[in-house]
Amino acid sequence: MIASALLLSLVVASLATALAVALGTAAGWFLARRPFAGRELVDALLSLPLVLPPTVTGYYLLVVLGRKGPLGGLGIPFTLAACVVAATVMAFPLVVRAARVAFEEIDPRQRLAAASLGHGSVSTLWHVELPLARRGLAAGAALGFARALGEFGATLMLAGNIPGRTQTLPLAIYEAAMTGEKPAALALSIALTAVSVIVLLIVGRLGRGRA
Amino acid sequence: MSTLHADIALTRGEFRLEAAFSVPPGITTVVGVSGAGKSTLLLSLLGDQTPSSGRIALGDRALFDAAKGIDVPVHERRIGIVFQDALLFPHLTARENVAFGLAAGGDANAWLERVGASALPTRRPVDLSGGERQRVALARALAASPEALLLDEPFSALDPAARASLGTLLVALQRESGVPFVHVTHDPGEALRIGERTIALDHGRVVAEGRTSEVLSGSLGRIAAVGSDNWLRGTVLEDGPDGSRVDCGGTVIVTGRLHRPIGDTVVLMLPAEDVLLARGEIHGTSARNILAGRVVSLDEADDAIDVIIATPAKLRARVTRAAVSELALAPGSRVWLLVKANAFRVAG
Repeated sequence: MIASALLLSLVVASLATALAVALGTAAGWFLARRPFAGRELVDALLSLPLVLPPTVTGYYLLVVLGRKGPLGGLGIPFTLAACVVAATVMAFPLVVRAARVAFEEIDPRQRLAAASLGHGSVSTLWHVELPLARRGLAAGAALGFARALGEFGATLMLAGNIPGRTQTLPLAIYEAAMTGEKPAALALSIALTAVSVIVLLIVGRLGRGRA
Repeated sequence: MSTLHADIALTRGEFRLEAAFSVPPGITTVVGVSGAGKSTLLLSLLGDQTPSSGRIALGDRALFDAAKGIDVPVHERRIGIVFQDALLFPHLTARENVAFGLAAGGDANAWLERVGASALPTRRPVDLSGGERQRVALARALAASPEALLLDEPFSALDPAARASLGTLLVALQRESGVPFVHVTHDPGEALRIGERTIALDHGRVVAEGRTSEVLSGSLGRIAAVGSDNWLRGTVLEDGPDGSRVDCGGTVIVTGRLHRPIGDTVVLMLPAEDVLLARGEIHGTSARNILAGRVVSLDEADDAIDVIIATPAKLRARVTRAAVSELALAPGSRVWLLVKANAFRVAG
C-alpha cells in the first residue's frame, strides 16, 4: 500500500506540476502585462482554490466533470486523470502567482530593447522573458509540486479513494490512521514531510539566487 | 542614408507633447529639463508610445501615420536604442548581447573590438563597469544595423573621463554608420562636444532647433535646459602661465590657464550674471576680456533682463531692468562686454 500510494502520488504530482506550470506561466504572463479590464477579478478567480476549502473546489470539479456535468463525457471522475485534474487545479494558483511576480519583475524596457533589435513577441518571450523569469517559474513549480503532492480534499471528492488506482499518499495516510495502522501512517507522514522539506529548500535556494 | 522626420502630438494626462522636427544623418542632441518630454519623444520614435496624431518617417518609409492608420511595430522599425542604464540582457554574456540582434553577415567579436570591449566577450553585464556596459550596449544596437539610433542620456551616469571617451567613440561610430543619431542629454557641454545639431524641448514643445552652438547661445530664445549660462565651443590658441586664449567662432576669449594643448577643442561655460556691460570702451580694468558687440535681442528673465549680444559669438548678459533703461539698451545698440578670465569654466 505504501509503495503504490507513494508512486501514484509522485506520478500525479509530476503530471499536475507540468500542467500547472504550462497553464500557470501563460496565465501569469497575461496578468503581468498591461492592465486590462477585469484583470484583478480574473486574478481573484484564479486564486480561489487557495482560499476555498479543497472539498468545495473538488465539489465544483465533480459538478463540472461528473457524469451529468457539462464535461461528463470525458469520464474523468474516479480515475487517475481525476487525481491529476484535482492536483493541477490546486497547484495552479501558486504557479500563477509566482509567474506573475516573476514577469512583473522584468524591466518592461527589456522587451523594448529586444524589439528594437528586431525580435517579435514570441522570440522575445522565448529568448528574454522566460530566461529572466526562470528562477521565479522554478520556485512556482516547486511550490506547485509540493501542493499537488499533499492534495487531499479535492482529490477525495473527484477521484475517490480507491487503493492502487486513486489512493494517493495523503489519502493512504488518512485511511491508515483511521484503521489504526499507526506505524504505516507515521511512515507515510514522514515520507511526505521529507519530500516537502526538500521542496522548501529548493524554493529557498531559488529565492536567494534571485537577489 | 535617410533623414528621420517627425511631426507628432501626444497627450498623457496633464502632459502634452507637440513636436515637429527632422534629424538628418549625423548626431542631433535633444536638450531639455526633466519633464520636458525628451523620453516620451524617444519612445514615440521607437514605437512604444503611440501619438494621437501626426506622422513619423525614415526617408520615405512611413513608420507612423495617424491619418493612414500606419503604426509599424517596434521590431520592424529598424530603430535602435541605448538606455541610460545600458539595460543589457543580464542572462547573456557581452558577446551574446551583441549577437542577439546581429544583422546578417555581422560579427559580434568585431563589434566588441570596435567599441573597445574586445577583452570582455564572456563576461555578463553584472561583471562590467558602467562604461563597459554602455560600450557593449552601443555595439549591440549598431550590430543590428539600424537605420536610426536613439540614445537616452547614455553617458549621464558615468564619470567625466568615461563620458568624454564614449563621446568621442559615439562621434566615430556615427560617421561609420552614416545614420541619424538622436542623443538626449541634459548636459549642454555634452551637446556641444558631440552634436552638430540640437533640438531644445520645453514643456513638450520644440523651442529651438538648429546648429548646437546657435541653439545654446540663446540666439533662438531662452531655453530652460540651458538656463542663464553661456555655452561656447572653441579652439585653444595659446596656453600659458598667464592664461589661455580660445577662439570661439571669431571671438577670442582669455580664460584662466586651461592646461590643454594648442588646437584642442574645449567647451566653456560662462554664467550670464558674470558678464558686465558698458556703453563705451573702458580702459584700465582688471577684466581680461573686453569684447565689442552689438545687442541682438532682449529676453525677459525672472527678475532681470537677458541681453543677447553678437561679439560675433553670441553671449548672454543678465542685467537688471534699471541697467537696461539707464544704458538705453535696445537691439542694435553697440556695447562692450567685460568678463574676468576666471569666470569661464571648462565644461569639456
